[in-house]
Amino acid sequence: MEYLSLFVRSIFVDNMIFAYFLGMCSFLAVSKNVKTAAGLGVAVIFVLLVTLPINYLLNEYVLKPGALSWLGEGFATVDLSFLSFIIFIAVIAAIVQIVEMVVEKFSPTLYSSLGIFLPLIAVNCAILGGSLFMQQKDFPNVGMSLVYALGSGLGWFLAIVSLAAIREKMAYSKVPAALKGLGITFITVGLMGMAFMTFMGISI
Amino acid sequence: MNAKIKETLLNPIFKGNPITVLVLGICSSLAVTVTLKGALVMSLSVIVVTGISSLILSLLRNSIPSRVRIIVQLVVVAMMVILVDQVLKSFEATYAIDKQLSVYIGLIITNCIVMGRIEAFALGNKPWPSFLDGVANGAGYGLILLVVAFFRELLGSGTLFGFDILNRFGYVTNNLVILPPFALILLGCIVWIQRSVQKDLQEK
Amino acid sequence: MNTNGNFYTFIYTTVIVVAVAAVLAFVSQSLKSRQEANEKADTISQMMTAAGFGTKAEFQKMGNAAVIARYGENIGSAFIINIQGEKVGDLDPGEVFSPARLKKQNYLLKGDKAEARIPVFEFKNGITVVPVYGAGLWGPVWGYIAFEPAQEGGFAIKGAYFDHESETAGLGARIKDDPAFQDKFKGERPDFESDKVFEIVKGGSPKEDGTEVIDNKIDAITGATMTSKGLEEAIDIWLAAYAKYFIGSEITPLGEDDSVTVTEE
Repeated sequence: MEYLSLFVRSIFVDNMIFAYFLGMCSFLAVSKNVKTAAGLGVAVIFVLLVTLPINYLLNEYVLKPGALSWLGEGFATVDLSFLSFIIFIAVIAAIVQIVEMVVEKFSPTLYSSLGIFLPLIAVNCAILGGSLFMQQKDFPNVGMSLVYALGSGLGWFLAIVSLAAIREKMAYSKVPAALKGLGITFITVGLMGMAFMTFMGISI
Repeated sequence: MNAKIKETLLNPIFKGNPITVLVLGICSSLAVTVTLKGALVMSLSVIVVTGISSLILSLLRNSIPSRVRIIVQLVVVAMMVILVDQVLKSFEATYAIDKQLSVYIGLIITNCIVMGRIEAFALGNKPWPSFLDGVANGAGYGLILLVVAFFRELLGSGTLFGFDILNRFGYVTNNLVILPPFALILLGCIVWIQRSVQKDLQEK
Repeated sequence: MNTNGNFYTFIYTTVIVVAVAAVLAFVSQSLKSRQEANEKADTISQMMTAAGFGTKAEFQKMGNAAVIARYGENIGSAFIINIQGEKVGDLDPGEVFSPARLKKQNYLLKGDKAEARIPVFEFKNGITVVPVYGAGLWGPVWGYIAFEPAQEGGFAIKGAYFDHESETAGLGARIKDDPAFQDKFKGERPDFESDKVFEIVKGGSPKEDGTEVIDNKIDAITGATMTSKGLEEAIDIWLAAYAKYFIGSEITPLGEDDSVTVTEE
C-alpha cells in the first residue's frame, strides 16, 4: 500500500517537471516532436532506475551520519554527508558512461535510438534531483527508492511526451510573433502544471 | 575598462540572457522564486559558483586530459556548490535561508548555465575574462529570478522582502501566484516582452 | 606535453579528486561546530517560542550563544520517557532533539510503540514542552507544543511553534510563518482520553456570539488542507504517545464533564 501510494504520488503529485521544475533544459529543448521526446523520456526512466538504488545504498552505508558503523565502533560518529553532492553526481556520470558503452555493445538498435540522449542526461537536473530528494525523504528500504525512481521517471516521461504532442499541434496555431517558440512553450507548460495540480488532493 | 570586457559583462545580462535567450538553467531554480529573499540568495550563490568555477577551469584549461574533461568540470563545480552550501549553513544569518532552499542549492551543480559557460567560454579563454563571463551570466540569471520573485511575492503574499506592501491596502493574496505553474507563465511573459523589443530574437 | 596518455589522465584525475576531497574535508571539519550550533539554537528557539519566552524573530536577533544561554537559565529538567509515561533516562544539559532524531522516534511510534523514547522538556516556570513530528504535503513537518501546569479541566496549551521542510510558501508554510495560526493553539485543551487527541478541522470549533470555545479543535489553514491534515496527524500521534505521562502526573482530577467548555474572558 505504501508502495502504491508513493508510486502514484511521485508520478502525479510530486511531478519532477510541474512541481519541481527539474530537468527543464532538456525538457524544453527536446520536446519538438513526440518520437524524440519519448526516446529521452525512456532514457530518463532507465537512468533513474539504475542510479537511485545505487545512490540509496551509498547514502545508507557510506554517507549518512553514522552510516559507516559497519566498519567498526570507531566509525560510528563519522559523518560524510557533506560529500553527497559530489558522490551522487560522480555515480550518475559514471553510470551514464557505462550504460552507454553496454548498450552500444549489446544492442546497437537501442543505442541508435537512445544513445544520443545519454550524454545529455548526465547533467539533467531530474536525475540528480531524484537522488537528492531520495536522500531528503529518507526511505526505509531500497525497494521504496526503486519505486520512487520508477514513479518520478514515468512522471517525467508523461510530461515531456504530452508537451511534445501539444507543441506538434501548436505549429498550426497563430501565435504572436514575439511569443512564438520559447514564450508560448513556457505558458503551455504552466497551464499543464495547473492541470496537474488537481492531483494534489490524491491520497491512497 | 576596455570595450571587450564591457561586452563580456553586459551581454549576458540583457541581449544574451542565459535564461530567456540561451534557454539555459531554467531547471530547478524557478522553485525558489516564491520569495525575493530566497531568489536573492540563490542568485548570489549561482554568481559565486559560475564565477569561481569558470576561473578555476580556465586556469586548468591547458592541462585537462580531453577524455575526462566533463568529469573534471563536474568535480570542480560540485566542490564549489558544496562550499557555498557549507558556508550558508554556518552563518546564523543565512542558516534559515539555506534550510528554505534545501535541495535546490545542490541542484546548482546540474544548472546548465554553469557547465554551459565553462564549455563554451572558460575552456577557451584566459582566467580573468572567464571569471567575468561567469559572474555576468550568473547575474543575468539572477536578474530574471529576481523579476519573477518580485511579482510572485508581491502578488502572492502582498509583501516584498517580507515587508507588507499591498497587504496594507487590504489586498487579498492570490494563491495561484504562489503555486509553481505561475512562475512559468510569468517567464513566458518576460520572454514575450523581451522579444517584442528585440525583434531579431523572434523565432519563425 | 601529451595530455591524452593513459598514465597522465589517471594521475591527473587522482590529483584533482584528492585535492577536492581534501579541501572539502577541511572546510567541513572547520565549519561543523558552527553548523551544529546553528541547528541546536534553531531547535531551542522553536521550543522557547512555543513556551512563550519570546518570538522566533527575537531569538534570531539574539544570536546562538544568547539563545543557548537563555535556555540554560530557564530549563528545569529534560528527560526521556517511554510510551507508558515512565521516565527512562535524562537528557544532558542543553541536549535537544533534532528533527532527524524526532523522525526516528516517529517511525517507532507508528510501528513498534514500546521501543519509542520521547523527550519531555520542563521549564522552571512549570511549562512543559513536547515535540510533534509527521508528514506534510511535500515533506516532514514538526514542531513543539507547550503546556501550562496542570489545572482543573486538564492541560491547557500555552503556545505552539511549527516548522517544515518544503511546504508551499504562503500556503502550507503558514504553519511556520503565520503567528496567527500558532496563536490559535493557545488556551486549547487536547483531550488525552479520546482517540482523537487534537483536531485541525475546517471552521474549527463552533463559535457562538463571538466567543471562542475552548476544546481540542482549531481551524485549519485555507488552501493548505493537506498540510493541515498532516500536522493534525503528527499532533495526534505524538500527543497520544504522551497521554499516559500527562494523565498520570495530573494533580487536579478532571471535572465531572469531560468536554468542559470554558469561554475566554
